[in-house]
Amino acid sequence: MEALILELKKEIIEVLNLEELTPEDINEDAPLFVEGLGLDSIDALELIVLMEKNYGIKLNNAAEGRDIFKSVRIMAEYIAKNRTK
Amino acid sequence: MSIYIQAAAQISSQEPLSDAWFTNPKRYTERHVRSIDPDYKDFISPIEARRMGKILKRALATSWTVVRKTGIEQPDAIITGTGLGCIENTEKFLSAMVRDKEMYLQPSFFMQSTHNTISSQIALHLKCNKYNSTYTQQGISFESGLFDTYLQFKLGKINTALVAGHDEMTPEYFILLDKINYWKKGKVNETILRKSDSIGSFAGESSSCFLLENKKTAQSICELKAVDLFFNPTQQRIKQAIEDMLLKNNLKINDIDIVMTGISGDCNNDCVYRENIFPLFSATPIAWYKHIFGESFTACGLGMYTAMLALQANKLPVDYLYNKISPIEGIKNILIYNHFKNKNHSLILLSSC
Amino acid sequence: MNEDIVVTGMGIITGLGYGKKQTLEALRLQHSGIGKINYLQTIHADYPVSEVKMSDNEMRNFLKIPSEKIITRTPLLGIMALNEAINEARFDKNEARKIAFINGTTVGGMEKSEQYYPEFINTEHYIENHDCGSSSEAIAEYFGNFDMITTISTACSSAANAIVLGANLLKTERVDVAIVGGTECLSKFHLNGFNTLMILDKAACRPFDATRTGLNLGEGAAYLVLEKASNAQQRNIKPLCKLSGYANTCDAYHQTASSPDGQGAYLAMQNALYESQLKPEDIDYINAHGTGTENNDLSEGTAIMRIFKDTIPPVSSTKPFTGHTTSAAGSVESIISILALQHDFIPANLNFNHPMPELSFQPVKENITKKLQHVLTNSFGFGGNDTTCIFSKIE
Repeated sequence: MEALILELKKEIIEVLNLEELTPEDINEDAPLFVEGLGLDSIDALELIVLMEKNYGIKLNNAAEGRDIFKSVRIMAEYIAKNRTK
Repeated sequence: MSIYIQAAAQISSQEPLSDAWFTNPKRYTERHVRSIDPDYKDFISPIEARRMGKILKRALATSWTVVRKTGIEQPDAIITGTGLGCIENTEKFLSAMVRDKEMYLQPSFFMQSTHNTISSQIALHLKCNKYNSTYTQQGISFESGLFDTYLQFKLGKINTALVAGHDEMTPEYFILLDKINYWKKGKVNETILRKSDSIGSFAGESSSCFLLENKKTAQSICELKAVDLFFNPTQQRIKQAIEDMLLKNNLKINDIDIVMTGISGDCNNDCVYRENIFPLFSATPIAWYKHIFGESFTACGLGMYTAMLALQANKLPVDYLYNKISPIEGIKNILIYNHFKNKNHSLILLSSC
Repeated sequence: MNEDIVVTGMGIITGLGYGKKQTLEALRLQHSGIGKINYLQTIHADYPVSEVKMSDNEMRNFLKIPSEKIITRTPLLGIMALNEAINEARFDKNEARKIAFINGTTVGGMEKSEQYYPEFINTEHYIENHDCGSSSEAIAEYFGNFDMITTISTACSSAANAIVLGANLLKTERVDVAIVGGTECLSKFHLNGFNTLMILDKAACRPFDATRTGLNLGEGAAYLVLEKASNAQQRNIKPLCKLSGYANTCDAYHQTASSPDGQGAYLAMQNALYESQLKPEDIDYINAHGTGTENNDLSEGTAIMRIFKDTIPPVSSTKPFTGHTTSAAGSVESIISILALQHDFIPANLNFNHPMPELSFQPVKENITKKLQHVLTNSFGFGGNDTTCIFSKIE
């Protein structure tokens, strides 16, 4: 799980272009949206693409992402359970 | 009703957000010159900047600069001209779409690719709900936006306006335009461009932003007297258009102190100025700016910027003079003439204030 | 400067057919132009779209454009529509009056560029046709007699903003006639772009329906011929209606989403009403932007309630007929609104079944015959570019 969390942090930094951050800067239990990293609805769409491209998990609409993207750890746990890649 | 340029800002091949280059502009010999970027941290937070291509950062930096200079935070109109729009993001989305066969595409690139992203983002940052538009007509994109602004001032619909011209030239698009002979084949310099004996110029990028108001203040730099656009005009039509514009502003041909042209070193481009302007203004100093800034679809914004500085300084450095006639003391009226492939033409009249 | 601006010609081509007659017939018979993708080559073929049922070659043959002439689909659609408008307004190539052509488009020649990108091997001629302005130029050169042209690109409000500029050109007397509107063909770029934003519907779109989940893209072109009433009189041509008012505002909320309280939309409608010197209760029909996305319909619906309060007129979105024609939507839907005005007929908001709990109104489910004096049409684009136009019968 720790390896997946680290991998996920790196991917998030890359796909969301968070150039100034390193994986150490991201707290895996902190909120991703509104507070914490302060991501927005477009970032949510980017994460949906990331889920499908890297892990084969297809979400049907943006609303489904709301619960999954609560924090990096919650994302990682969802991926571990549902990945097809 | 008079319109004044109250503040202006530019990012180009010259020192960004500054006017110091005017008396000693940098010269280039490359075929593709990219703009010098300032530090954008003063204008955009890192969390926002991460998603922005260069053109958007430049647009926000120049907009904030004129807004801060004038204190006009909610202009009645925000209008942008751009020939290619946010081409960097367009290419990112397009190339991913082609490479990955329409799979796993990223929304941010699409979202920030549309032409009107620039005007919208400016309004978003200024929290401005007023008139907002974007023009894209190749080499007269900037003038199209300026023309809309001018009409609205004349109709009394607006008192202030933020008008801008933005274009970027990515390495990939440079190659595409090279295939269709937009650029000279070898190195370029002023001597080569002056010869005007082959097709092509050199590529630049342009970001220019002006804050206009219909009120004269201590800040006012110069006056915008008239703007007009023409499609496929005959020589007679252009002559008539120039004469009409001057007449409406109580000016004669010899009241024009400088004609600022879009001469670029491309023979097909330059001969149109020779035919339309030189005979009409045989005793007038002819100036140019594309040899300094390069050719881009909104380069005319930088031409207007240069003309504005000349009126402010009451002097035009020899760097911008095309013919041998030296400017006379006291520059009061500058006519700016630009055209794109002899299809779309534009005229702008600036005066001192 | 206070003289009426009238419409003396219209031309349209969409998935409903070519010309006003086919358009009106489709609206009356409730025949939608939305169906399976036929011409566009894409892996996302399961998204319903409204394609114009003519290939590029068919349009070229109709317009007698020689095969050597390089021209992409967007300007071809534009020329088809321009042809009808110019014929109705009775202009010919030798017209001495000053005419402007203002065109709205975003895609330009992208539908060809995306096929040949990045190498453009043996297809360099399409590089010149990629940008938006070149599309407008191609359309203008077909007619050949415009004194000035330019292109507006404000996403889904482009054509509506062309109407705004055209009207301002007439009021300042820069030109005698302004031909205004927009054109947009389907492209993979657009289809994939909207897909990444997750706002496309795999079923037919359902504007203002509680179960709505997105839009269906469409393609098309439409132009209106605008001139001052006195100019039309001089030319001995009977106007179709007048442009009573118009307004352009910016939502300034988000790059792709509209504000929850519909502030941009509210201001656009309010300012257009003010300019027309009309009150909300004077409006007999609203042709809504109504894309069928969760966000737009809530935002626009809220703005309509804020403006019209207890006097909300019949509202329908005709995007279930034409699809979302993006840059052309403003003029496509203006022409539909004017057809409604001329024939005292309100087209239905197809596919509507479940009222939105947040709204105090529902769109019209069936075609309605009703005397119409003033109609209002909305076009709202990405980036919060919001424009409203009001057309009225001439007494």
